[in-house]
Amino acid sequence: MKAMEPLRLAIAGAGGIAQHNARSAAASGAVRIAGVFDVNHRAARDLARALRAPFLASWEALLADPAVEAVLISTPHHLHRPMTIEAAAHGKHVLVEKPVANNLLEARQMDLACRQAGVQLTVNYSFRYLPRIRKAKQLIDDGALGEIAGIQIINHQFKDAGYWSGARSNSPDDWRASRAKCGGGYLIMNVCHVIDYMSCLTGLKADRVYAEYATRGSPAEVEDIVSVSGRLSNGGVCSISASSIMRGTGQAEERVWGTNGSLIVSGEGVSFYSTRPVDGRRPGKLYTLKKFPEVNWTAEWIRGFAQSVRQGQRPEISFQQAWENLAFIQAAYESMERGSAVGVEPYVADPGTS
Amino acid sequence: MPRWLEKLLGALFPYVPAPMRPAFKRAFLWTLIRVQGLASGRGVRQGWRIEFLDFEIAYLEPFEYLRPGPGEIEVAAHFSAVSPGTERAVLCGLPGARRSFPYYPGYSCAGIVERAGARARGFRPGDRVAGRLKHASAGTAAAELLFRVPDGVGLEAASFIELGIITLQGMRKARIAPGDRVAVLGQGLIGQLANRIARASGAGEVIAVAPSRARAPVSMRPGGADRFLASRDPDFDPGAVLADVVIEAVGTPEAIVTAVRCARRGGRVVLLGSSRGLSRGIDLGALLQQGAIEMVGAHISDLPAVDDSPGRHSYRHEGELFLEMLRCGRLSVDELVTWRAAPDECNAVYEKLARGGGEHVAIILDWRRGRATREAA
Repeated sequence: MKAMEPLRLAIAGAGGIAQHNARSAAASGAVRIAGVFDVNHRAARDLARALRAPFLASWEALLADPAVEAVLISTPHHLHRPMTIEAAAHGKHVLVEKPVANNLLEARQMDLACRQAGVQLTVNYSFRYLPRIRKAKQLIDDGALGEIAGIQIINHQFKDAGYWSGARSNSPDDWRASRAKCGGGYLIMNVCHVIDYMSCLTGLKADRVYAEYATRGSPAEVEDIVSVSGRLSNGGVCSISASSIMRGTGQAEERVWGTNGSLIVSGEGVSFYSTRPVDGRRPGKLYTLKKFPEVNWTAEWIRGFAQSVRQGQRPEISFQQAWENLAFIQAAYESMERGSAVGVEPYVADPGTS
Repeated sequence: MPRWLEKLLGALFPYVPAPMRPAFKRAFLWTLIRVQGLASGRGVRQGWRIEFLDFEIAYLEPFEYLRPGPGEIEVAAHFSAVSPGTERAVLCGLPGARRSFPYYPGYSCAGIVERAGARARGFRPGDRVAGRLKHASAGTAAAELLFRVPDGVGLEAASFIELGIITLQGMRKARIAPGDRVAVLGQGLIGQLANRIARASGAGEVIAVAPSRARAPVSMRPGGADRFLASRDPDFDPGAVLADVVIEAVGTPEAIVTAVRCARRGGRVVLLGSSRGLSRGIDLGALLQQGAIEMVGAHISDLPAVDDSPGRHSYRHEGELFLEMLRCGRLSVDELVTWRAAPDECNAVYEKLARGGGEHVAIILDWRRGRATREAA
């Protein structure tokens, strides 16, 4: 079988997560790094050197470079929209960090630009490639839980002042503390990953939410504690309890349960109980799976996207999924502001023609 | 095992660390059956059986049993019929059916004699038999509780044996006279058999009554009911049924009330369904008195094993009659089978049953399917 031609990928952004993304891209074997750009030239040069890739002095130079087929944008949220639109206008495929944008209007504009330019767009919800998440999905797909009744996300950690001020970053910037720049706090910044993979695991979305949030311990405009209750599309119920101000007793655990069993995803692995014989196991017993292969989940995401570009197919993590994730988060923020439950805006493929 | 030893081990068991208990129990049972085998001169055999591990969980598990004792027969199962009422009641913990788990369901099976004990005269390896055996690939039973399956009767039909006996003994108590209008409440497996036996007993009209029309296609097959009424239909009027005899084959207090209302004045109601509910708040006295209704209890536990005195029919008599009705074509059960399942599908079978059974009437487990794989495991 003929080997796939590597996707020529430029890196836009050389901050903390951008470095992880760029190194994962290089490790994926599916791309060749065609250049690195960041407004912080020193950070960009260091990363380019490490990846043995050209340093690109400006965003315009990146866009004008015919050697660049696609761009991996790992920049603050408010830059996702303009950079994606410009990249698409120059015929570049786009891989953008999560969340897709700060709001649904911006997201729509990005999608439209990519569709008009005939380029592919994907969003970094790569946690769903984690082996334990893959395993949990396989168990649910095999019927371990029956009809899903409930989803619970518990996600608490402590983000120190340096996280908000940018003091921890190799490219310091306090954009995370600004509502205008990042659209929200812990929910849109961090928990969005968990919302994505729980939706991927269960195939369910919420169609109505009620939320409360606050900023209680962080030097930021955005929330650092949030609670969301939602009604799932199948009539079940979901809840999220999350914060970035829980000192010393952080917790990250997701539970899904249904008519035939329950499942827990945590740092320990995957635990499940089912009334059905799934995974070759006797029913009626609690199992905990702890050993999983080491996998670079970001590299998996990039490899899959490169394949979809070469094969002319829609990427596995599509714009629609990223949009639905953002629609849930936006509805949660609106709910708090209105003090009432809010319906989650359903995805419409092409609102301009409907 | 001596009672004192059983008590001693029971007292010590809680002191075994919890993670070690399953292994401890397995080792104990492994040892026990071999000691029993040595003591009685019988070999240990391996098979597969269905276990209810807990509420709403069924699973096919390996098990061990002893070769037949002197008065016993070892049978290789071909088919076993699921008894929806009794088995669902245990599986779901319905009132009056409390059991501890694991529980080994099944009591209506047909197969081939593998080996006969020294005093089990009249049976030889290869004989076709039916009787009260659990849902298992093989097992042993007392020879007097097994029936020889006549030529011309398939083993699948014969596997209805115990369900047939249950129905026959109840229908006998209904004393159906030629031309009687008979209403059968409940169209599960027992209700469907009751339709057919009522017809074979000379009923003038058989009316099937069930909450929905889901089972109407099976009820209305040849040999079954003449009419089907859905009690959830808005125009259903039990007072218009006017049955001479009502067979109650549901087992709930609500069904008993409906059954009484379906009877004509002076009619007879036979309680064939095993009671699975709490009857508080029902004024049976008034219900029965107002309509001059005769109510007859008809549970199989009332059936004598061997007493065959005039006017009474024994367990053996009813079993032989059921098989004879199948042989001569007066009764047919093939049309009632809606699911022929392999034993390793049992988890799905009982999950369906736990949720009410849906459109299924008779579910047959075919123990021939997957036998080679199980024996190799």
